[in-house]
Parts: sequence; structure tokens; C-alpha cells
Amino acid sequence: MEKKTYNLFEAAQKQFDHAAELLELDGATRDFLRMPMREYHFTIPLHMDDGKVKIFRGFRVQHNDARGPAKGGIRFHPLETIDTVRALAMWMTWKTSVANIPLGGAKGGVICDPHHLSLGEQERLCRGWIRQVIKNVGPYSDVPAPDVMTNAQHMLWMLDEYEVITGERHPGFITGKPVGMGGSLGRREATGYGVIITVREALREMGIPPEDTTASVQGFGNVAKYAIELYQKMEGKVVCVSSWDENDQCSYSFQKKEGIDLNELSSISDSFGGIDKEKAADLGYAVLPGEAWLEQEVDILIPAALEDQITCENVDKISKRVKIIAEGANGPTTPEADEALNQKELFVIPDFLANAGGVVCSYFEQVQSNMNYFWEKDEVLGKLDAKMTSAYVAVSDFAKAHKLTMREAAYVISVNRVAQACRDRGWV
Amino acid sequence: MNTRKSLDKLVNELKERAKELNCLYKVQELLNDRKKTVDDVLRGIIEVLPPGWQYPEICQAKIEYQNLSYKSDHYQETPWVLNSDIVIQNEIVGMISVCYTEERPLIDEGPFLKEERKLIDTISGQLGFYLLHQRLKTVFEKKGPVPEEKKPEWWTILEMLKGTDPELLIRISRKMINYLGWSGIKEVEMLFDYFNPVYEKDSGLFKEVNRPYQAQKKDDLMFVSFEIFKMAEKHLSEKEILNNIHKWIKEDKSGFLVDILENTGSSLVEISNAIERFHHLLPHGLELSEPRKQSFRVALIRRLLSDQPEYINVAKRFIEINDFNELFKKIISIVGSHGKLGGKGAGLFLSKYILKKSTDKIPLLKEIKTPKTWYLTSDGLLNFIKYNNLEDIVEQKYKDIDQIRKEYPYISHVFKNSSFSPEVINGLSLALDDFGKVPLIIRSSSLLEDRFNTAFAGKYKSLFIANQGTKEKRLQELMDAIAEVYASTFGPDPIEYRREQGLLDFHEEMGILIQEVVGKKVGKYFLPAFAGVAFSHNDYRWSGRIKKEDGLVRIVPGLGTRAVDRLSDDYPVLFSPGQPNLRVNVTIDEIVRYSPKKTDVINLETNVFETIDIGTLLKERGADYPAVHQIVSVLAENYIQQPKKLGMDFQKDNHVVTFDGLINNTDFPEQIYSILKVLEEELNGPVDIEFAHDGKNFYLLQCRPLSYGKINQPALIPYDVSEEKIIFSANKFVPDGTISNISHVVYVDPKKYGELEDYEDLRAIGKAVGKLNNILPKRQFVLMGPGRWGSRGDIKLGVSVMYSDISNTSMLIEIARKQKNYVPELSFGTHFFQDLVESRIIYLPLYPDDQGIFFQERFFTGSENILGDLIPDLARFSEVIKVIDVSHTTGGKVLKILMNSNEEKAIALISESTHIVETNISKEKIFENIRENDIHWKWRLDFAENIAANLDPGRFGVKGFYVFGSTKNATARSSSDIDIIIHFQGTPEQRRDLLLWLEGWSLSLDHMNFLRTGYKTTGLLDVHIVTEEDIKKRDSYAIKIGAVTDAARPLPMGTRLKKEK
Repeated sequence: MEKKTYNLFEAAQKQFDHAAELLELDGATRDFLRMPMREYHFTIPLHMDDGKVKIFRGFRVQHNDARGPAKGGIRFHPLETIDTVRALAMWMTWKTSVANIPLGGAKGGVICDPHHLSLGEQERLCRGWIRQVIKNVGPYSDVPAPDVMTNAQHMLWMLDEYEVITGERHPGFITGKPVGMGGSLGRREATGYGVIITVREALREMGIPPEDTTASVQGFGNVAKYAIELYQKMEGKVVCVSSWDENDQCSYSFQKKEGIDLNELSSISDSFGGIDKEKAADLGYAVLPGEAWLEQEVDILIPAALEDQITCENVDKISKRVKIIAEGANGPTTPEADEALNQKELFVIPDFLANAGGVVCSYFEQVQSNMNYFWEKDEVLGKLDAKMTSAYVAVSDFAKAHKLTMREAAYVISVNRVAQACRDRGWV
Repeated sequence: MNTRKSLDKLVNELKERAKELNCLYKVQELLNDRKKTVDDVLRGIIEVLPPGWQYPEICQAKIEYQNLSYKSDHYQETPWVLNSDIVIQNEIVGMISVCYTEERPLIDEGPFLKEERKLIDTISGQLGFYLLHQRLKTVFEKKGPVPEEKKPEWWTILEMLKGTDPELLIRISRKMINYLGWSGIKEVEMLFDYFNPVYEKDSGLFKEVNRPYQAQKKDDLMFVSFEIFKMAEKHLSEKEILNNIHKWIKEDKSGFLVDILENTGSSLVEISNAIERFHHLLPHGLELSEPRKQSFRVALIRRLLSDQPEYINVAKRFIEINDFNELFKKIISIVGSHGKLGGKGAGLFLSKYILKKSTDKIPLLKEIKTPKTWYLTSDGLLNFIKYNNLEDIVEQKYKDIDQIRKEYPYISHVFKNSSFSPEVINGLSLALDDFGKVPLIIRSSSLLEDRFNTAFAGKYKSLFIANQGTKEKRLQELMDAIAEVYASTFGPDPIEYRREQGLLDFHEEMGILIQEVVGKKVGKYFLPAFAGVAFSHNDYRWSGRIKKEDGLVRIVPGLGTRAVDRLSDDYPVLFSPGQPNLRVNVTIDEIVRYSPKKTDVINLETNVFETIDIGTLLKERGADYPAVHQIVSVLAENYIQQPKKLGMDFQKDNHVVTFDGLINNTDFPEQIYSILKVLEEELNGPVDIEFAHDGKNFYLLQCRPLSYGKINQPALIPYDVSEEKIIFSANKFVPDGTISNISHVVYVDPKKYGELEDYEDLRAIGKAVGKLNNILPKRQFVLMGPGRWGSRGDIKLGVSVMYSDISNTSMLIEIARKQKNYVPELSFGTHFFQDLVESRIIYLPLYPDDQGIFFQERFFTGSENILGDLIPDLARFSEVIKVIDVSHTTGGKVLKILMNSNEEKAIALISESTHIVETNISKEKIFENIRENDIHWKWRLDFAENIAANLDPGRFGVKGFYVFGSTKNATARSSSDIDIIIHFQGTPEQRRDLLLWLEGWSLSLDHMNFLRTGYKTTGLLDVHIVTEEDIKKRDSYAIKIGAVTDAARPLPMGTRLKKEK
């Protein structure tokens, strides 16, 4: 018998099955949601710079568009497999659903390594991708976005090819565009602010005024910085942040009991959020080992750096004072550690919900592009607050009503919404 | 005030040169006028001479020729006179004199300028040729109408020579004998007697005898001359004879140059004068035969540039005699100098002319410049030593290395406080006037540096000076810098390096290059727009599409120092000029992470070399930065945009250095690619160059044969290795290098890794590799694994590691196993490519399923796996991760990996732990290095034992003393620390005392290491205290105690104490 190997899609299906079980979904709905609705597999002939032609394989998987146009990134990955794309497309469906925005889930990609392609070749590859799949994507059916090893430049090439073929301007066909070329303001802030909006709502439920709380943050990148910014606007006090030190190849925590100064630390950090430890020490910060952020006597922990940071080895070092863990990063808690946190009855705002600000902002970009009218930043952030608040409240109410953890509730509620839409449409 | 003064001075000097030139033209006009008689000409010269002198109003001239004398009206004998002989065919026939009738301030030669000396010598030289010509004409006219017997034309010429220049006749006759002899004409042998000292007919060989020979009388020779030509007439056509005579007479005119150049005793000044004279003769049509030109070129090259045959062979094809005339004007030498320019100077000079001569083929090369350079010849150092009575210093290199190191600061100090000889100071002062107030770089150019086949890179100092302020200050600064570069010859590092390379006895001389720093002023800083190094062979390929021949460029903003050195905290931008579109970094994250953040500049206010933050400089002075739009890109959210020249906002926008504009929109990649290719082709091998760019022009700063580091020399791949010894082989994308003495292999089994079902397990494998990276001996293990190391996202396809998880490996090997019908694409280390480059970790891809490839899978899967013993927690992964202790498995042997990129071949062998490594370059070299390393570990271990022996376990509460790591493994380098584990069981006070006691040792050992190696740290001991509990739990370093592999070695404690008691 051949040994089974780890398969991302099977893992995603298992996760879905668990939610379907809780929701007691009927067989047809389960079968329908376990698989993508549509898959496109195609080849892209690419004229290389040296005159040769190479054939690349491309995909687009639309997992579900019952709630609205499918939405999802395009990955350039040398070892891409269709199962990976299927799994990621399914997760996009749940992600748009938990944020309660009218979009579905999709994912696509090309098997290639851009490290071995010139920019000219990458442009032709992007245009080739659009040509092969243009009949099946569009601003009202399937909206791509940047993902692994693609960026705004690739999106602009793709958008241009789409517009050349249709002969019309459709900025809403794609998201992740630069500001001024159909991009939205507020994208930089969106994820970090979103995390704190969910924290604020959690505190409100607990009846704790934010100004009476302290927090410790792992990471000093975009998510962490804007989370700190909004949290400090709410008069909360951040006493510790950690950041990766490129020279020492390890991370350090920077602690200041009277509260860190965001601008001060930003001015001594590089573009990856690496804080200069000598300068920090000069400014009166205690420079502690990387894991110290987790051991602080605070009310809120915000892991906003990498996955697998809270593990069964360090979960016991978390202070008893901690009330909320808000997952700004993707998957910062291992399943074993998650179990331990549940037993401690620590309130965890799962990544899925906490960092949904990003996808909400993509949705806003699409909306603005479609009407060709772009909001000021305040308007974007105001609408973000409304969306995130209602998303949080829905999950939280669901969790309380059904005695689920926030993580389970977020997942179940999102599956439920999609299943409901399918039913409403009379599909299943 | 000062500028006003120097401006006046300059104007005056220019006026003088104009007068001198004018004078020279007038003389030439006279000489070229065929209607004028000799008498007319000489009188004319008397008229035109005085106005060419500095004080024409008191200047008088006189010419004496044979018995004639011509004087200007008021000529009188005074002490202030400049004489120059008129020479015809080496015979003084007269003299030109110029005198001042009144006293004037003394300058170069009495009251006369040195330019005036040159002027009068030039005029007398030209007059000599004119007079010779006139004599020949007279003879010719006399002999002209002889009707009775029609003599051949050559006869007339010989007759003429007999009357005017018998010496020349004899020389020509001798040439004819040789000519006939070489043409195989036997009869000529009898004539050899007349012209050669001793000749034995029987043997046909010249023989040296001890007695002096009887010189032939001139008259006899004259007679023989005609006999020779009569004989020649029998065998050669008249035309051939005539052509030869013409050729020989012409060549004879340049005889003075032959004399000077072939005479090893002639000094540079004499050569310089001869070249200048030669240069002035040119307008008169001094045509030379190709062989003679060649011999001149070779002689000049040998005297001034290099005596290496490889160098001369190339240089003679590119450098013309007249090119030296320009060069000599910028050489500072001492009287009687026999020096050369040195390696760097010679390399740059040759490259410049190679590129110049290649512009027809490649027009892009036209734009290439070299910075203005003055040279101080290589014997300047000896002169300096002699002038300051520092002769003792010459024996420095034979002293002990720690003594050399101890004395070096003192030598440097003494040198800086010594003075240069007046002629050198004079020369430097001239050079400074020529440069003006631009920053300069003082580069060493020793005879050892940049020689063909030896790499002696970066061992001697190069210093930047700002060159600002008063002339006195600038001169002092320049002399200080030269003295410091001189002193670096006696520094410990170069001497140790020479000892290692077996070059200690080489007669080392140090030339100096004084070079204008290419660049522009940006605020208070001076810097080039960008600079860097380029290699015609690319040994670090990040894509299979890049060929070795596509080359590699390391480029940085500002001074190139940051591209030359490997940096620990910053990166240069890399690109391959043959494939400029395939960039190393593709994602925005990579581009930003690996972009240069700092730049090296010269601060014109403080006059020092500085490293500053490029972002800050751009915010303050971005608009002034040359070609900035080609260097930086604008970083927006998820987008990197190439800026336009106008409309850049340095306050608001976030800029990153990418060189996108330069690489995508300019000829630069093509230009540098052409340079590398032309130089590689003409210099017969791969080259590396240094360059700088001021935003407008490309400047070549240095060129030399590609230098290899200690580990990246191409290995000699043996072909007679028995198959069972080969662990694996590779034949695609192979770099150069030899990794020897590998003690451990970490092998992530591709099949087993692919079979892992659980995502957490896949991630755990990456973390396990990180743990092994911290435990295994640094640079003595290799990491091998499936697909793409550093995979993110879909980590099934490659072990998910960050750079910090692999930072101690010596090689990173990716294995591409065939899967069903395709071979997965490998990463080429792109996830952390630049980190690999900067820390010299070699990347190698393996394709085990290709034809002709060895891959002994049994070695990896069948050998004893010590993973569980090393880290018991990870025992559950023993199926997936194999850690092989090579020595244990093979009975004391090690793994060695040999790589050769030209052959596209690499093999990994089990070999004896011998330290001899064969390489193409030099067998001794690496052997020597290892031997040096032996010394480093040995005394470290001695001292570790000594410390243990002196440690009182009772006093400090110590239960065990262990040494591990490089000291124990005999791999310590000059920079290694001594790793010690102390099993401690005592009170906090004891612990404090113990640490204090050890700190004393640590500091003194560090000083000792500094004296031996030049490495200074804050202490040489790396002490790890472990407790009973740690040992029980096998925590941290405690696992080293009693470990299965690479265990820490216990040392006996307190032995010395007992003895003393």
C-alpha cells in the first residue's frame, strides 16, 4: 500500500467536515462545499527572451460564488499543485464569509519560479494567463488579487490585458492595485486596525475600559505598528514589543513599563520592523530575549509576526493576568497550544476573524473601482470599523449562543452563511 | 587671496609654455626650409632662440658648429648659461648655448626652468639630424655626376657614408653579414672574423676565451664593408640590398633608444628623456620596422610595467611607444630609479589600452575612462627607508609574527613621522597641482599584487584622502597617507600571507598609485554615483538560465568599498551582465531586504572616510545625487516603481536602492559585459575589475586576473577514484570549490519527508534542522534535502527553514529526485541567496536520477543515525532526518566535496582526514593554511588544559571542566574562541568568584591571540556553566557532556595546584 502524504486540500476538507458536523449540514450541501464549483486548468505558451517557447501550466479554482463574485489571489509558485490551490480557494470562501462581505472564494496560479524569469517574461506570462481564462473571470464573476510572488505590477499587467481584450476600463476586475491606479487608501492600516477593532469589542463585552489595559505585541511590521497605533489612540498602553534582529538572526523583546513610544521605535527600525537594539537600550528600553513578549504581565497579547509562536512549550509562561489573545498573524497558535488556552479559558480572537481587515479593504477597493469613485482614507477606515465590528459581534454572539470557542464559532458561522446562500439560491 | 595667487601663477606658467612652443615651431620652420643654407639656418636659430626664454630681454644665444660660431649681438660669457651639445652619429660636432646677461632668481637649473632645458636639448637634437642630412646631401651631390662606370645605387650610399659617418657604415656592414649568414650563405663565414671577437670555423660556434681580443682597425673594416656588399650583390637583388640599407639607416637613428632601453643600468629619468626625444623625432618620419618597434615596446614594458612573460606577451600588442610618453609625465621617481609601476598600476594601464584598441569592434567601449593617476615607482619605498635611515626594517619579515604585530603600530608611527626626499616631495607637489582639490585614493601597487597566477588581493592598504585646504596641508596629508601605505608592507597580515604562500623571499617593492576619486559632491560628502566589482565568471548563479560566462556584478551606491568586501550587515545589488533581466530578488520582500542600506563616502568637512545611511542622505540631498533615478526605486504598498528623473519626492517617498533604472534602461549592463569579455579574451583568462561611475561616465579602476578565495578555487577532480568511495556526484550548475574534512552530514530523506502526513510534522523538520545547525560543528557539516530549502507556504516541497536555521552549514545541497515523469525545479537557494553569498555557503543541486550520476543512497539511509542521541526529543523523526557522523561510520575518515565549474563536475568522496587538498592552483597553499590552523587549536587546547590544571575545584565549587567545539576538534581558526563547559555546584559567591577568575584568563588569552593573529574580541573564553539539573535534563550545553558524537572532552582539574602544594 502506498503511504499517504500530507495534503493541504484534505486538511481543509477535514476542517470543513468538522464544521459541517456541528451545523448538521445535509449530504448534498456537504458534497457541494467539499469540492470547488469550477476549476480551470490550462497551458500558457510563453515566448522567452532568447526566442524559445516554453509552456507553463496555469490554474483558476472557483470554490464558491454563492455570496458574490469569487475573490482570491494568483500565486506564482514553482511547485504549485492543484490540491494546494483548491484548499486555498476554499479558505477564501470562508474568509470573505466570516467578514460578511458579499464575495466568494477562489485561487489561481501558475507553476513557475519568477526567479528564473525576466520582468518581460513575467509580463507576458501574466497576459497569457488572462487570455486563457478571460471568459471565466471578470469584475462581476471572479476578481483576482496578488499573492505569493506576485505584486501590484503583475496585477496591472493582468488588468491591462483584460481591458485591452474587452476594450473597456474595468478597474474592479482586480485588486491590490497601487493608489492612483485603482487602489484604495487605508490598505496599509487595514489589518492592524482591524485587529484592534476586534479587541475593542471584546473589551466592551468584558466591561473593561481600554485605557485601563496594557498589551504586549510580537512583531513590529505593518500589522503590529498599526495595531499599536490604534490601540494607543484608545489610550491603551503597550509595554512590550518584540522584533527580529537581522544581524543576530534571532528576535528580541523591547520593554518599557511606562509604555513604548511608537514613533520613537519606528525611527530606529528598518523597513522590516527590525528595531536597533543598541539605540533602543539608549532610549531606556529593556532589551529582553525574543520570547519575553509572551511572559509580560499584561491584559492583551497580540502575536502579529509569524506562525507557530504560541506552542505547548511556552503556553504556560503566559501570565495569569492575560485576558485576550488577538491573532494578528496567520496561525500563531499551534493546535496543542490552542487546546491549552481553551482550558485556561483565555479569550482568543482567531486569526481568521482578527486579521480580516485586509480582505475587507480589498473588498472596498473593488467597490470603489466598480463605481470609479475613490474614498478618502477616513471614509475607508470608518467603513472598516463598521464592517469589523459587526463581523466580530456576529461571531461572538454565535459562540455564546452555541457554547463554542471563538475559533470554532468563526469557522462555523462562515460555513453556515455560504451554505445558506446556496440553499437560498436553490442550488442544494 | 590664495586662489588669486595660484591663478596668476598658472597664467604665468602657461605663458612660458606658449613662448617655448613658439620658439620650437620657428626652429622647425627654419630646418624645414629647403631653400635656406646651413649658414642661414644657424643664423636664423640665433634669432628665434631668445624670445623662447623666460627673460627674453636679457637672453642671448650662440651656436658653435665645426669651426663656425654664430652669436647674437650681445652674447657674452656669463655664469648663467645653458649649453646643449649638437651630436651627429654619436659624435659631438658643436654646441648651442643660451645665456642671461644679468642675474635672475634661481629655479630649476640656475635661473633656467627645467622646461627650458628640455627645449634646448630638443632643438640641438633636431639640429643634429638636420646637419647630418645636409652632409649626406653634399656628399651625394659631389658623387652625383660620375659618368664612366655606372655604380649601383647602394655603392653611392656606402661611399657617402664612408665620407660622413664611417661608424654607421661599419654597423650597416655588420648587419649585412648577419643578414647573409641567416640567409644561409656560406661564404660569409670568412668575414665573421673581422667583426666578431672569436669565431671558430670548425664548430660554427662562438667561443668565449679569457684573453682580450685584438680589435680590427677601422680602415680594414671599411675595406671589408665594401667586400661584404660585393658578396651580397651576388646573392641578393639590388632592390633588396637597397631596401635593407634604407631600413638599417632609419633604425640606426633610434639607436640611442636601444642603448638606453637595453642597458639595465639606465635609470627611469634617462628612459623618460629618451622617450621624449624619440617622441619629438616622430614628425620627421622616424619610421621603424615592426620588429624594432616591438623590441622597444617590450623593453619599455619590461622596465616599467612588468617582467612577467605572460604580461609582456599581451601588453606588447596593445601599448605603443608613444603611450609611454604620456605615462612618463605622471611618474614620480627618484634620480637613478629602476622602479616599476607595480601590479595594480601595470594592470590598469594595460587594460586601458586594451579597451581603447577594442573600440572599433565595440563602440560602447569608447565611453570608458580611467581616473587621472600619478605613479610613485616601486623603488620609492626603498628610497624612503634609506632617506630616513630605517634600513633595519627590511629584516622585519623574518621575525616572529607576534613580534611583527607588536611592532607594527610603532613602524606605522615612525613612517608617518619620517620625511620624503626633496625630489619626491617636488613630484608630489606637482601631482597635487595637477589634481587640484579633488579627493584622492592612495593605492598600494606592489610587485606582488595582481601578478598573473597569484592573488594577493587586499593585503596592503588603500587610503582615501579628502585633499582639501591649503597646499601645505594637502601635501602633508598625501605624504602621511603614502607613509601609511608604505608601512603596511611591514604589517603582520601581508607578511603572514606571504609566508603562507611561500612568497616571503620575493623581493617586494611597493609602488603607489595616486588616483583621483571618481565622484561628485553631494552636500558635504563626496562620492561616485555608484561603484563596484565585476567578475567575468559567475560562480554564484541563482538560476539555471544563467551561465558561468554571463559574469557577475556587485554594485553599491557611493564608494565601491562596500562591494569589494563581504559585509555582515548589508548587501550589494547583484546582477549578471550577460543576463541582466534575471534578477536575484524578485518579490518585494526580497528586493527590500537585500537592498543596500548604507553607503561609503568622503566627508569633505571633516576630511574623513565615513559610512552613512543612504536613506538619510537621500532625504537630505536626494536631488543632488547623480543619476539617482537610475539607482533607486520608489517603494509603495506592494509595488516597486522606477522613478522618472523629474518629480522625485525625497521627503515623502520611500526609496530603496535597486539599480532598476540602470539595469533596465541604460547600456550599462551591455557596457560592463563587453569590458569583461574583451579583457577576458585579451588577458587569456577570467578577470575581475573594479569600477566607479559618476553618473555620466564609466571609470575602470582596476583589472586583474580573477582571484580565488581559499575555498572557492576550482578543484582538481580525480578520475581514478573507486566507485565505493564516491558518495555522490553532480554535473549541473556546479560551482568551484573544495570542502574538506566534513565531519557530519544532515540528510533529510526526500521520500520520507514527502510521506509526512501532518503539517506540524513538516514544520517540525525545519525546526529540527535549526537545532542541528546550532549543535553541529560550524562549517564542518553539510545539509542535504529535497527540493527547495527555505520553502514557504507549501512546505511539503522543501524543508521550511530560515537563514538562521542553516547559517552554520558549509554547503546547502538540494536533491531533485525524479517524480513520476518530471524533475521538480530547484530553488538555487533563492530564498536566502544573498545571505549564502555573503557568508560563502556553497550551494549545489543534485540530480540523482540523471544518467552517469552516482548517488549512494545506502550511505544516507543505511549509516547509523545519531539524531536521537544528539537531540532525544527528535528521535521520532529518525526516519526522515539522518545525521551521520562520518568519522564514526567510516572508521575515522571524513567526507570531502570537490567541485569544478569548468568541467561541470562535483564529487563527494570518503577520504582520509588528511589535510592535503589538491587544487589546480597550488598544492602547497592549502596545506600551509591548514598547518596554520593546527597552531590555532593547539595552543588553545594547551591553555584550556592549563586553566583546568590551575583551577581549584573546592574553592569555586566546580565538579567538572570540559572543552568542546573547535578547540577540541582541532579546527580552531585565528578568530575562534575556546568553548568551555563548567559543571558547577556551588554557592552564588563561588559562582561570582569563578567567573571573575575565568575572566582574567579570558582577557589575557585574548591579548595573546591578538598578538598571534590580529583578532581582537572581548575575551577568548566562551564559558558555559551547567548544573546537575541541566545535565539530568540534558538541557542546553549539558548535552555535550557524554554526548554520542562530538562530545565535550573532560579535562583534569587542579593537578597543578597539588604539585605546588
